[in-house]
Amino acid sequence: MDFTIRAASLDDCKDISRMILKLAEHDNVSDQIKITQRDLEQDGFSKNPFFHGIIAEVPEHFKSRDGHTKVGYSLYFYTYSSWKGRAVYMEDLYVMPEFRGKGIGKALMAKVSQLGLAAGCTQLNFTVLDWNKSSLDFYRKQGCWDVTSDLGYHCMRCEGDALEHLGGHLHFTDQSQ
Amino acid sequence: MDKFILRRAEPKDVSDILRLIKELANFEKMEDQVILTEKDLLEDGFGDHPFYHCMVAEVPKQHQSADGHVIVGFAMYYFTYDPWIGKLLYLEDFYVMKEYRGFGIGSEILKKLSETAVRTRCSSMHFIVAEWNKPSIDFYKRRGAADLSLEEGWRLFKIDKQNLLKMSSEE
Repeated sequence: MDFTIRAASLDDCKDISRMILKLAEHDNVSDQIKITQRDLEQDGFSKNPFFHGIIAEVPEHFKSRDGHTKVGYSLYFYTYSSWKGRAVYMEDLYVMPEFRGKGIGKALMAKVSQLGLAAGCTQLNFTVLDWNKSSLDFYRKQGCWDVTSDLGYHCMRCEGDALEHLGGHLHFTDQSQ
Repeated sequence: MDKFILRRAEPKDVSDILRLIKELANFEKMEDQVILTEKDLLEDGFGDHPFYHCMVAEVPKQHQSADGHVIVGFAMYYFTYDPWIGKLLYLEDFYVMKEYRGFGIGSEILKKLSETAVRTRCSSMHFIVAEWNKPSIDFYKRRGAADLSLEEGWRLFKIDKQNLLKMSSEE
């Protein structure tokens, strides 16, 4: 099947937003989405973008059942490893179910790798849910390894009240370590 | 010792930043993994589009360390993005030299980071911790941090340069 991989532009935000919702539904967390199409436009396509996007597009005659030609996407941004320097983080990777098995996911990931290497990155990082066996298998086949399993690193989050607490906006007693 | 200041790192600090990065890596038994140089830190942190931001903890000369250092702690961070909730602050490294712990430097660094996160409208601060590092896990959990790997099943994956090259050249 014919498809192209290209950098996302402002006009793609409507489709990216659509597919973000589909990916969240897959992870059973679509009620957690606070970001709107407009947020994506501002955060990804202004002078200092917080993320970059790439889109997988098919020709009109291969469009999806509901008439879409933009059938996959990846969102990524640059991060920094204090051990190795520049790194690229792949935040989202998604291909619509009816377009899977045709190499689109692999091509999207290859593009993120190319862009990362061009920017001087030495590693690509991302997270996967432990029950997502098909994704875990796909990534392992590409030569990825599980940092959480192998090195015991856990992803931690501080948000909402806890974040405000830390910032000293709420009172708490420091039982010093 | 109650006097210390927290300030934004400057180009002149890269030598101390690298020293502290290696000390922290040494604690994690990963010192041989650090291939970053002072030149990288300079280019990547103080150019037009910095890859990271850094704050350092400095003590007055009379409180310098046994080897004569006045930069005794640091935090390295950058901004990331979650397409569900938007901007996030990612804490890459956070370390205070052993002889300077227990004076509130770590807490003050976290406080400044949280202020930065709230001020820049980040909805969350993320970081990773090694599961065997009980004192750090307790420190963070006391401050309301959630372990996403345990609670939501997220596993951190990595692809290194060799495999990236392989992937990027496949048609």
